[in-house]
Amino acid sequence: MIRCGFQVVLALAVPVAFGLGLLSFHPATATSADIDKTVLDAQAERIAVIKKVHPAIVAVCKPGGEGSGSGVIIHPDGYALTNYHVVASTGPLPSAGLADGVLYDAVLVGQDKVGDVALIKLLPKVKDKPFPFVTLGDSDTVKIGDWSLAMGNPFSLAMDFSPTVTYGIVSGVNRYQPPAGSGILEYTDCIQIETSINPGNSGGPLFNMKGELIGINGRGSFEKRGRVNSGVGYAISINQIKNFLGHLYAGIETDHATLGAAVGTKSEDAPLTQMVVKQVLEESDAFRRGLKEGDQLVRFAGRAVTSTNQYKNILGIYPKGWRVPLAVRRDNEQIEMLVRLMGYIATEKEPQPKLDGPPMPPVPPKGPPMPLPQGGSTEAAKFFKPKKGYTNFYFNELERDKLLAAAKKHGEFAAVAGPWVAEGSYDMGERKGTLRLDLIPALNDADPLVKLKLNIENKLSPLKETDVTLQREPLGSGGLMMALYHWHRLLTLGQSGFEAEFAHGGHEPFYPYPIDGSTPKSLAALRVDCDVLRTKHGSTECKWYYSQDDHRLLGFETYIVKDEDPCEVYFSDYRPVEGRELPHRIEVRYGDKRYGILTISKYTLGKK
Amino acid sequence: MSFTGLFKRGLVHGTGIIMSIRSGLFLCAIGVALVPTQTQADEPFTVLAEKTNQKMVKVFGAGGFARLNNYGTGILISKDGHILTVASQLLDTSDLVVHLYDGQRLRAQVLVVEPELDAAIIKIRLDGKKIDEPNDLNLDYFDLVAAAKRPPAQVGDWILALTNTFEIALRDEPLSLQRGVIMAYTKLAGRRGVFDFPYTGDVYVLDAITNNPGAAGGALIDRNGNLLGVIGREIKNSLSDTWMNYAIPVSAKVDLKVKETVQDKDGKPTEVEKTVTISMPEFVELGMQGKYKPIKRETRPTGEGGYHGIIFVPNVLERTPAYVEDVVPDSPAAKAGIRPDDLISFVDGEPIVSIKAFHEWIRANTRADSVIRVEVRRGESLQTIELRLAPHPAKPEPPVKSQLPGTKMQ
Repeated sequence: MIRCGFQVVLALAVPVAFGLGLLSFHPATATSADIDKTVLDAQAERIAVIKKVHPAIVAVCKPGGEGSGSGVIIHPDGYALTNYHVVASTGPLPSAGLADGVLYDAVLVGQDKVGDVALIKLLPKVKDKPFPFVTLGDSDTVKIGDWSLAMGNPFSLAMDFSPTVTYGIVSGVNRYQPPAGSGILEYTDCIQIETSINPGNSGGPLFNMKGELIGINGRGSFEKRGRVNSGVGYAISINQIKNFLGHLYAGIETDHATLGAAVGTKSEDAPLTQMVVKQVLEESDAFRRGLKEGDQLVRFAGRAVTSTNQYKNILGIYPKGWRVPLAVRRDNEQIEMLVRLMGYIATEKEPQPKLDGPPMPPVPPKGPPMPLPQGGSTEAAKFFKPKKGYTNFYFNELERDKLLAAAKKHGEFAAVAGPWVAEGSYDMGERKGTLRLDLIPALNDADPLVKLKLNIENKLSPLKETDVTLQREPLGSGGLMMALYHWHRLLTLGQSGFEAEFAHGGHEPFYPYPIDGSTPKSLAALRVDCDVLRTKHGSTECKWYYSQDDHRLLGFETYIVKDEDPCEVYFSDYRPVEGRELPHRIEVRYGDKRYGILTISKYTLGKK
Repeated sequence: MSFTGLFKRGLVHGTGIIMSIRSGLFLCAIGVALVPTQTQADEPFTVLAEKTNQKMVKVFGAGGFARLNNYGTGILISKDGHILTVASQLLDTSDLVVHLYDGQRLRAQVLVVEPELDAAIIKIRLDGKKIDEPNDLNLDYFDLVAAAKRPPAQVGDWILALTNTFEIALRDEPLSLQRGVIMAYTKLAGRRGVFDFPYTGDVYVLDAITNNPGAAGGALIDRNGNLLGVIGREIKNSLSDTWMNYAIPVSAKVDLKVKETVQDKDGKPTEVEKTVTISMPEFVELGMQGKYKPIKRETRPTGEGGYHGIIFVPNVLERTPAYVEDVVPDSPAAKAGIRPDDLISFVDGEPIVSIKAFHEWIRANTRADSVIRVEVRRGESLQTIELRLAPHPAKPEPPVKSQLPGTKMQ
C-alpha cells in the first residue's frame, strides 16, 4: 500500500493572534429534575475526575516562561512526563507552570528521542514539599470507543497555566505511525484519539475516565487540513513509557530496539499475511540464538506477529538491550528463544541496502548534544550534569546510589574485602563433584587471582591474562572466573572497583531459570523486573540485575567481549553468612546452554 | 511514496521523505469492555465499534498521485461481499482490492456507479469464481434497504463514524471511530464544483471532523448501530475556508430532469422533459441484482481535466481552429514534441473542430495521468503524438488568509 500523509508533531506554534468572538450565553434554566439522573451522574463524575488531576498538569515553558508544550507530574518529587520534541525547544532547564499559577524551575532528567518522551523534574519552592501527581493507568486495557480526557495548554492560551481540557473518544489502539522527520519520533503501539489536541498540547496527558494516565499526547494527522486538530490525534501509550521509565529516571539517553534481523511479509498479495525473517545480521544476538532466514515469526514478546505494523508495534515499545522472548516456526517445529535487542539508532547508522524486508527509516543524524544550559535558573543548573550516553548524569548517580543503598540492606561487604573461599559441590550434568572457589583480591604487590576447582583446578589472573580464550575459562562457561572476580569486587569495593563505568542501567527484565532445574514451559513466564547496574573494569563489562521488589542481586552478565555471548550467573538460595546474605545456589549459563550449578555449603570471608 | 513532514513552531524544521510500504494484518481482538453509557438504552461505543467494524472494508484502488488518495472505505451490504462506497476515482482500476475486518485481502470489481448519488456498488471477486457465482463468505453486513425505511436521524442526535481516515488501518486493524452529533439535515447548495460534488440531495452535516482523506465510503451509524448514511468526500467551503463534514443518507433521493423522446399525437418524435427520482435503496437493491441502469444524461459539466501545457492562438471566433501558438516549457505537450503552428485535428480519434471543442474534450475525458493520442497537421503531413497529461500546476497562493501558521492553503 502506498501511504501519503503529513504527520505533524504538536509543538507549539509561534504566538498566534486570535480573533475573539464574543458569544452571549444564557445559562440553562432547567432544574436537575428535568434531566436524566444518569446524565447528571456522568457529568458529576467527569467534573470530579478533572478536578482530581487538574493540579498535576504542567505547562512546559522555555526558561523565560514562553509557552512550548504540556506535561504531567507522575511523582510527588516533581517528576513530570512530556514530549522529547517539547524539551528539544526548551533546552535542559525549562520552566514549568502549574494550574495554581506558579511557574517552577525545572531540569531535564531523561529523554527518549525515538519514542518522543522526556522526563523533567520540577524544583519545589519549599524544600521537600510534595507535588500533586497522577497515577499511571494500564493502556493495554484501553478500547476503541472509550471516553478520554486530554489536558494541557494548547496555543498557550492560559496565561495563568490553568490547563485546557478536551473530551472525546478513543478512535483506535495499537496504531503505528512511522517516524516523523529523521528517524526519530516514531509512534508505535500508540492510541489514536478524536479528543481534540492542538499545538501546545504536545507532552500533555491523556486520561481514562478514572483519571489514570493512559498516554502522552504528541502528534496528529493533518495533511491539507492545516496544523490544527483534524479529528485524528495520537498519544504515546503509557505502557510503552513504563518500559523506558527506569531509564528516564536514571537520566539515560535511551534508545529503541531492532531485532537485528530484517523481517517482512512472505507475500504482499496473499489473502493472509505471514511475517518471515528475510536476513539476520551476524553480529546480532538473534543470529547467535539461532534465528534463520525463512523462519516465520509466530509470537514476539508474548504477542502474535501477523503484520508489518504489528511487528513494528511490538518491537517499538522496548528499549535497546532488553531480552524479549521470540517464538518462530521452522518447518513444522516451533522454537522459542530469548533475544537481546540491538540498538535502533546505533544500528540504523549502518545502512543495510540489501534488505528487502519492511522499509527502514532513513539514517538519523547524529543529533547535536543537548546544548549547555542557557538562561535557565542557576538553582536548576545544579541538577544538570551532561555526560556522553546520558541526558543528565546527575540523576543517574542519584538513582544508582539509591539502588546500591537499598541493596546494602542484604549485606555490607566492605569490611570483608580480603580473600574469599567458597566450598561445596558442582553439577554439570554428566560431571559432578566437589568444588572450591578462591577469590583473592589484589593484596600488597600481588595481582588478584581466581582459583576454581571443579575436580581439576582452573586459575585466572584477571588483570594479567590478555588471551580472550583463557579469560573465558573454565571452558564452556563464557568466563565464570572473570565473572566471580567482578562479583567479589562489586560487593567489597563498590564504585571504587570500577574505574571505567559505574552507572545505573535503567530497568530491564531478567529471566532466572527454575531453581529445581526443570525446563521452563515458557521463557516469558520466567520474567522478573529488575533495576540494572552497569560496570566496567579493565575491558570487561558487567550488567547486574537487582530485583525491583527487594533489591536483591538476582544475577549478572559478564561480557568478556562486547557483542558476544556473556557468562550468565544466576543467584538463589540466599542465606546469611556472618550477618551478610550470600547466594548458596549459583547457576551458570553460556549461550543457550547451562554450564553448571554450583551449590555452596560454606563461605569463608577474609578481612583485608 | 509518502511525504512525512515535521512541522514545529509553524515552520518546517526538517522534512524527510520516507518510503513506507505498509502491509498490515493485526490480530489483536478488540475486547468488549462495558463503559458507562450516556443513557441506559444505548450500546456502549466499544461494542458498537467492534460490531460495525465487521461490516466494513478498507478499499484500495487507483490514485496515489496529486491529491488523490488510493485508499478509501466501504460498507458491506450483502453476505456475499457487495460493498457500497463513494463513486470516486479510486474505482478507476482493474486492480481493486479490499481488506476485510479479519485481515483477508481480496479482489473486488465495480458493479455499478450512480454519479447522481455519488455512490458505487463493488463486489468481492474470489479467485476461481465468477463475480455473480454464489460464495461462502457469509459476511456480516448492513441491510441498507431496511435501514432506508427508518426515519432520518434528527438534528442533535448522537452519531458515530467508522472510516479508514488517513489510511491508518490496514488488513485486520480496525477502522477509526469518531463521534459527534448531527448539526443539520440539508442540501449542500454552495458546492464547489459539480465534478467534485455531483450529489444534489439532502445530507447529514456533522460536527465531528469525519471527512478526511480515505474516509469517503465510511459508515455513519446511530447509537444503536443502525446505518444512517455514507461518509462523503472531502469538500471545502470556499467562503469560510472550512471543511465540510457530511454523509449521504441511506434514504437519499435525487430528482432529475431528463429529456425523453416520445411520439406526439401525430406520431412525430418530440422531446419532453420529465422528472425521474433516483433513490439509494433502489440503486442498492437493483444494483446488487445487476438490474440497475444509471440514468443517461446529457454530457455533464466536468472538471478541468488533465494538464497539457498547450497555448492556443487567441480564441476570437466561434470556431477558432485549434492552432498551437506555443507550448509551456517542460509541460507534457513540450515533452511530447508538440510545436507552434501545429493544428490539432483529432484527439483519440475524435475530430477537433475548434479550440473550444478541444478544451471540452479534455475536460470531459481526462484527468492527470491520462494518456491521449493527438493527431496534428504539421505543414503537409499528419503526425500522431502521444501525450501523458499531468496534474495542473499549482496556482500562486493568494496572500495570507488564515491566521494559523502552517495551515495549508487550498
